Amino acid sequence: MASPDEESPAPTEPERWRDLDMLLSRPGNLVDANFDPSPGLRDTLGSLVEVLVVGAGGLGCELLKDLALSGFKNLHVIDMDTIDVSNLNRQFLFRVQDVGKSKAEVAAERVMERVSGVNIVPHFCRIEDKEIDFYSQFSIIVLGLDSIEARSYINSVACGFLEYDSDDKPIPETLKPMVDGGTEGFKGHARVIVPGSTPCFECNIWLFPPQVKFPLCTLAETPRTAAHCIEYAHLIKWNEVHPGKHFDADDAEHMQWIYSEALKRAELFGISGVTYSFTQGVVKNIIPAIASTNAIVSAACALEALKLISGCSKTVSNYLTYNGLDGTHINVSEFVRDKDCLVCGPGTLIELDTSSTLSEFIKMLEEHPKLLMSRASVTHEGENLYMQSPEVLEQMTRPNLGVPMFELLKGAARATVHVTGMAENNGKKVSSLRKLRVAFKGVEKNSKMDTTESF
Amino acid sequence: MLNLIKIKDKKKEQAASAGGRAPVKKQSAGELRLHKDISELNLPKSTSISFPNGKDDLMNFEIIVRPDEGYYLGGTFVFTFQVSPSYPHEPPKVKCKTKVYHPNIDLEGNVCLNILREDWKPVLNINTVIYGLNLLFTQPNDEDPLNHEAAAVLRDNPKLFEANVKRAMAGGLGSVRAVGLSQAPQMQSL
Amino acid sequence: MAAAAAAFAEPKTKYDRQLRIWGDQGQAALEKADICLLTCGPTGTEAMKNLVLGGVGSVTIVDGCLGQSRAKSVCSFLQELNDAVNAKFVEESPLALIDTNPPFFSQFTVVIATQLPERSLLKLDSICREANIVLVAARSYGLTGLVRISVKEHTVIESKPDHFLDDLRLHNPWTELKQFAKSTDISDKDPVVHKHIPYIIILVRLAEKWADAHDGHLPSTRQEKKEFKDLIREHMLNLDEENYKEAVESSYKVSVTPGISDDIRQIIDDSSTEVSSSSSDFWVLVAALKEFIANEVNGELPLEGTIPDMTSLTEYYVSLQKIYQAKAESDCLALEHHVKKILKRIDRDPDSISRAYIKAFCKNARKLRVCRYRSIEEEFGSPLLSEVQKYFTDEDYCFAMNFYVLLRAVDRLAANYNRFPGIFDSEIDEDVPRLKTAAVSVMSEMGLNGASLSEDLITEMCRFGGAEIHPVAAFIGGVASQEVIKLVTKQFVPLPGIFIFNGIDQKSQVLVL
Repeated sequence: MASPDEESPAPTEPERWRDLDMLLSRPGNLVDANFDPSPGLRDTLGSLVEVLVVGAGGLGCELLKDLALSGFKNLHVIDMDTIDVSNLNRQFLFRVQDVGKSKAEVAAERVMERVSGVNIVPHFCRIEDKEIDFYSQFSIIVLGLDSIEARSYINSVACGFLEYDSDDKPIPETLKPMVDGGTEGFKGHARVIVPGSTPCFECNIWLFPPQVKFPLCTLAETPRTAAHCIEYAHLIKWNEVHPGKHFDADDAEHMQWIYSEALKRAELFGISGVTYSFTQGVVKNIIPAIASTNAIVSAACALEALKLISGCSKTVSNYLTYNGLDGTHINVSEFVRDKDCLVCGPGTLIELDTSSTLSEFIKMLEEHPKLLMSRASVTHEGENLYMQSPEVLEQMTRPNLGVPMFELLKGAARATVHVTGMAENNGKKVSSLRKLRVAFKGVEKNSKMDTTESF
Repeated sequence: MLNLIKIKDKKKEQAASAGGRAPVKKQSAGELRLHKDISELNLPKSTSISFPNGKDDLMNFEIIVRPDEGYYLGGTFVFTFQVSPSYPHEPPKVKCKTKVYHPNIDLEGNVCLNILREDWKPVLNINTVIYGLNLLFTQPNDEDPLNHEAAAVLRDNPKLFEANVKRAMAGGLGSVRAVGLSQAPQMQSL
Repeated sequence: MAAAAAAFAEPKTKYDRQLRIWGDQGQAALEKADICLLTCGPTGTEAMKNLVLGGVGSVTIVDGCLGQSRAKSVCSFLQELNDAVNAKFVEESPLALIDTNPPFFSQFTVVIATQLPERSLLKLDSICREANIVLVAARSYGLTGLVRISVKEHTVIESKPDHFLDDLRLHNPWTELKQFAKSTDISDKDPVVHKHIPYIIILVRLAEKWADAHDGHLPSTRQEKKEFKDLIREHMLNLDEENYKEAVESSYKVSVTPGISDDIRQIIDDSSTEVSSSSSDFWVLVAALKEFIANEVNGELPLEGTIPDMTSLTEYYVSLQKIYQAKAESDCLALEHHVKKILKRIDRDPDSISRAYIKAFCKNARKLRVCRYRSIEEEFGSPLLSEVQKYFTDEDYCFAMNFYVLLRAVDRLAANYNRFPGIFDSEIDEDVPRLKTAAVSVMSEMGLNGASLSEDLITEMCRFGGAEIHPVAAFIGGVASQEVIKLVTKQFVPLPGIFIFNGIDQKSQVLVL
């Protein structure tokens, strides 16, 4: 990124973009089938495409800069965090004076200062705070996150827009692709998720192993390592001494208390290695992070976003891992979709009359040749329509059995419903969780307004 | 993808006039899996379940265990379950709300059950955890204690342990403390 | 205010996330490093940004871009990122500097040369080798690019591999460990004690028992290993004893090959172990290591001295830790003794190598690495033909090999035509056969006459027209900076060859030529 300052102006616009334009304006042999090279392609890209960057941390700062310098002009960035001193070794858009301010806001402002013509809208909030509709405006979502939970949420939102036709083929206009990056020390990954054609985050969540947790009785009785002493102070001693007081890892006093308790315990048992820094590392589960790995992974993600949207080359298929510990190892694995994925899969299409009741619907599932599901429990967008078990829930949901599904699904022409029950699999009845696409006969897709009024 | 984006752009304008419906609340993969677990619950006779936030919040619930045999016969023990959206990637968080004199449950309600921490695997489910909790009352384990003193009494003097349990159950917290629980676990002598 | 407080933030806090990777010593090495960047286009600036954020000592930007001073503006941008770094710039063409002022480069720790044509790179390489300066060359070109390292030798003590077998010596326990194991009753009747005997003790005891019944041999065949596991299981009181489960899982540690690995053997047999007063500390230590091994009955390396966490009573575990530490310390003392003898022999002060350094060396003796790089001249003049042929025919490497040849060919063409192929829309069609001809001549010089290049890639290279696409530059610059960090901190292991970036399907590779 060439840097303008007062004395030396930024490169003139055509000069800055000359290199990128070469790639976007010329035909090639190793490009996407829909690549339509032209001298105006960069402008089209800039004016038509809205990109959401999720996270304005180590990856997010890099992503915003890389995307802005890849011809994207309409960017949004969302991050709930404020800037901390320990971010400064890699989150290059932030300065010491910015500590305490919103990451999204400062990052957006800094990139706009440096790359003229780019508009970045910051969102200083949680990803769950946004209406689902907010996410629909973006052509592509690029993720720079460090949590499985957040990835899983964005994945479910993006996959939620995907619609399938009656042949279970994804409808292209409903696609919302994602590019996801992640790093830890000298290692990282970058992947492209095109819902319905490449595996979504949930299809291979097993790639992220659960975090190791120490047994509580080891902490209480047979501590052996510094980490055991720290977790004892954190998980057991804190509540014992401060009943009802919430532990806050960002409160220096709280952390200091954990540290000194851990140290006392370590001395009692003859264990070495408890330091303040290590205490923070264990309690906050700090993942080491450096600028270079973030730069590498973000660059790979931005390049994939550019190729995916413009078609100017092939895209990675579909999961890249980087390891710089011993040499520079790049490995590309082609993972496959889980065809029954509850999040990105098509599910089974069920057509209902507007008069069909929930109990008739459950009966239908028993006879449906693709399902043969008995004892189905039904849930829809967080609402449990019917639960076979336990008894308390069965009683609470029983009144719904006689209500038409059309009414329970609030008059939508189509809806996604999940059912649990015993279904046939290779001739055996096994407990199964299935996604269903319910469509009501004779109801037009955008008729919600009319139908709800009739209730 | 640009061609698709162009199409979408047109559709968006049309949709804006037609009043398109946006999807509402997202159900996480974890919630769906929990829905399956709950709908398939096979509770032991000694156990009941309740949902304080109603039928649509399955992520927070309570399990009430009334042991029908062993030292804890006649007691009622309430456990809170907090399930995160990352379930079953992450185990549920389980705390014992009832003060209890027990080698594997401390006075803060921490429960030492391997499948809740180090041995949790995504193939396990809520039923497994409930089964594990029941087992804690029929077979309290003095080898992996969280309440060191209770464990020592159970090992060395089961009669006294039984009496302590009865006293604690009869009188609540005061009695739990009164049976002489020391706060600092002592090192095991060899 | 938070901001005011932060202005005085300790470097410790600012660098916290990286100190967790390379520690205070790695950070100190970075803060001492003087880095020179040649050409501050996107690739070079991206590389420097990552190094400045990490807190390198000083950076010097050399760029002769006309019109506006690119060197000056990039320098001020970098300075803004981290005021602890001393940032300077030189407004001169790197090509001219290489030609006219070779001594200029000897002041740096590392020279990062970006977007340099072949001819100047060759010259710079010989300058840097002469002065023992590390050279990292990076190039972005359309959707491809490369990163290479050139230095005669780079030695690493703290290679910090991801997975490495614990150094437990269960196959060959020393007296104190054996005694401690013997003093522990592994059949203790107390179930709590029984399930908390660390697997180290279980395995030492049972290996001994096994050896007694098998003429002093440890389990080695598959069948024997299976029987040994059964022997362990026989001692379990019940099936959920974690320590016994760990013992079964770790039983293979009893059967490791005694002595040293082939990799370490190669280092020990290196001719550099014939040390003289000009030898580096590293080679003095390797020479001492060689003597240490020769003097040890069992021909083992110094013990690492740490044990992994395992199910155990605290006391057992802490005692074991102490036994391992004591053995490591005594090994370290023994090695130090050899070091002093050698230093005396080569007329150096016997105390000139610090104890901390010797300690780190002992702790990592199994993980030592020596990286040597052929000069760029050697690579160009006499590439490893067998490797080249292998790469050309290997499905995974073929693209990378093609890119390598084409990246060299575009430089040839540029030398003749004063521009990269495909830079003008109007001449792309003529440039394709020209580039092909240049590539064929590169290949024949490499001794490859039969191999054929991908026509698609030749066309792609012309389409790229030498463009520096930003995300590609950020990637290449990122890799270059990562390598610089490894070279400067002397931790982790740098690239063994030439990293070839493949921005088409991201299947990048490393070629050793």
